[in-house]
Order: sequence, then C-alpha cells, then structure tokens
Amino acid sequence: MHQIADVEVAKNIMDANKKLAHKNLHKLEDNGIFCVDFVGAIGSGKTTLVEEIIDNTDYKIGVLAGDVISKFDAGRIEKHNVPVVGLNTGKECHLDAHLVGHGLADLPLDDLDMVIIENVGNLICPVDFELGSHLRIVVVSVTEGDDTVEKHPIIFQTSDVVVINKVDLADAVGADADKMVCDAQKLNPNVKVIKSSLKEGIGLDEIIAAIEEAMNS
Amino acid sequence: MHELSMAQGIINAVLDTAEANNATEVNEVTVEVGRLAMINPEQLQFILGVLIENTIMEDAEINFEEIPAEIKCYDCDFNGEAILDDKDHYAPMVKCPKCDSLNVETLNGKDIVVKNIVIEKPDDA
Ligand SMILES: Nc1nc2c(ncn2[C@@H]2O[C@H](COP(=O)(O)OP(=O)(O)OP(=O)(O)O)[C@@H](O)[C@H]2O)c(=O)[nH]1
Ligand SMILES: [Zn+2]
Ligand SMILES: [Zn+2]
Ligand SMILES: [Zn+2]
Ligand SMILES: [Zn+2]
Repeated sequence: MHQIADVEVAKNIMDANKKLAHKNLHKLEDNGIFCVDFVGAIGSGKTTLVEEIIDNTDYKIGVLAGDVISKFDAGRIEKHNVPVVGLNTGKECHLDAHLVGHGLADLPLDDLDMVIIENVGNLICPVDFELGSHLRIVVVSVTEGDDTVEKHPIIFQTSDVVVINKVDLADAVGADADKMVCDAQKLNPNVKVIKSSLKEGIGLDEIIAAIEEAMNS
Repeated sequence: MHELSMAQGIINAVLDTAEANNATEVNEVTVEVGRLAMINPEQLQFILGVLIENTIMEDAEINFEEIPAEIKCYDCDFNGEAILDDKDHYAPMVKCPKCDSLNVETLNGKDIVVKNIVIEKPDDA
C-alpha cells in the first residue's frame, strides 16, 4: 500500500547563486579589491572598454572574461599584460556566481586593486544572476537601435551606470543617442548615463570617473 | 536559455526532498515564479518535461504560481504590489501604482521557489 503526502520544499532556486555572490564579494573585500561587472549587448564595446580602462588608469586590474567560447575576449585582454581568466559558459547565456568564484581563484588577488568582469553579451539573462560585484555597468551601442533601452527595461533598472557607446555611428545608422539617454533615465532615475565613442576616445574619462566615484563612496 | 539551469535546480530540489521522504513517486510539484525573474514559464515547462524523463518525477504534474512584484516607492512611500507594464510580458517595467514613479526598490518578485511536492510513499516508511 501507498500513502500520499504533501511535503513542503520551500527551496529558492536563486538562493544558491546569491550565496555564492556574497561569498565572492567577501573574498574581494578581504583583499581590498573593487569589482565592476560589465553587462551589455553583443558587440556593444564591452571588451574595448575593458581594454581602454586598463590602458588609461594605473590600477592593478585583473579581468574575468565571460563568453560562450572564452578564448576570444581573454586573448585580446592578455595583450594588455594584465592577468585574465576566460570563463567559458559553454551553452549558457550569462555568467553566474559559481563560475566567477572559480575565476577569482585563478586571479592573483593579493596583487590587484580592481577586478573587472565582462559578462556574456546579453541584455536579458544576466539580470537574474548577481556575481558579487560592487558596481554594474551596462554597455549598449547606438547600432543595436535606439529602442534597445526601452525594450530591455530590467537590466537598465538594475544597473548603476549606463554607457551608450558608438555615438560616432549614430547618424550612419539613424539612431538618436539622446533618446537612449532619456529612456535610461526614465527607467532608472538614479542611474548615471554616459554617451561614448570608445573609437574616438569620447566619454572614457567620464566612465572612469563614475567607477572612481563608486570606489570612494 | 537559462531556463535549462533553472530547470536543473528545480529538479534537484524536488528529487532531494522526495528521496529524503522515501518517495516512490512524485505526483505534483508547485513552483512559484516571480514576475520579475527573467524566465518564461512555457520554456521552463518544456525543458523540465525533457529532464524529468526516467526519474521518479517523470509523471508529475508541474504547477506554476506567479508571484507578483512588490515594491517600495521612494517618491510617495507606497509599499505593495507594482503595476507591471505587460507589453513585454517577461521583461516588465516596474512602476509605482500610486504615483507612477520608477524610483522604486523591488522587495519581491525576482525569485523562483519550489514550494511543495505531493509524493507517494510506502505505508511503513
Ligand atoms: N565605431 C565604433 N566602433 C566601436 C566602438 N567601440 C567598440 N567598437 C567596435 O565594435 C566592435 C565590437 O566591440 P567589442 O569591444 O568586441 O564588443 P563586446 O561588447 O566586447 O562584444 P562581445 O564580447 O562579443 O559581446 C569592435 O570591432 C570594436 O572595435 C565605438 O565607440 N565606435
Ligand atoms: Zn567582449
Ligand atoms: Zn565548481
Ligand atoms: Zn537566456
Ligand atoms: Zn509612488
């Protein structure tokens, strides 16, 4: 004979990631490291921005480069002579705190002041996964279309800084960069929005200043 | 496609609890999905269906309950359920229902929780 039982499970599937994210944050803080994570659309300029920050600041930076196949971005960053770990997601569309934890274990944390995490290019899935960073910056470019911001509200509501990149191409693709700025401010009144052309060196100082402001607060 | 990792998390939680309770079969699973989790229940349902084959939850009925988004408004002090702009159903915009402000903190609605399961077990277990 069998009996039927109703059993409480009460297990939050998001908790495992959250716990690991907090562990990552503690590990970073124990080493006095500030951590920024970049999310954003595919090809929006995340890796370029990481490269520019490395070349234009004096911080000792380590990089975790996430990708479906991680060797591409990691290979680019390696050329800037900083420690970099490629985080291969395989099929997944986002980094999670577990992968970041493994990446941190492979970085020389005693010797760094900043860790930059580049997430997989995706404006949707990374929202569900905290990584343990202090500051989240979302990078989109005008070439994705000037409706990109309003179409993906949550990632803009949950980021601290928005970078609207490739403004040098706005006219060529018929995009209104200012509309994207307004959309972001409407979605997230507390967010800092910066227009940039990393190709022409526009906006980089402002992005670095935003990171430093967060570092010192 | 992170429905795949979510599905795996759900199945592990169900099977762990089922085993701990000596279940021979799982008949029903109830999962709460927050309105702000970037998850499409239909895709989740599909992937779960594939992954539970050949487990004791193979024939289980899986129910999803939607958990509303709860917010706190910094502009008017409203505390409660948010209005969600449903034009993009699984990427809603969070707004204060009282004053329309977007200057809000999300208190609830991001989680995915396996709430309970209905199992069969031998009488003497
Ligand atoms: N015109 C223009 N091109 C840019 C700018 N910033 C980056 N690019 C170019 O855009 C392309 C994509 O840049 P990446 O930095 O690789 O973009 P990403 O976001 O790291 O891409 P994924 O990692 O594949 O998601 C490269 O060819 C860059 O040189 C810019 O401001 N203007
Ligand atoms: Zn990249
Ligand atoms: Zn591991
Ligand atoms: Zn996905
Ligand atoms: Zn309000």
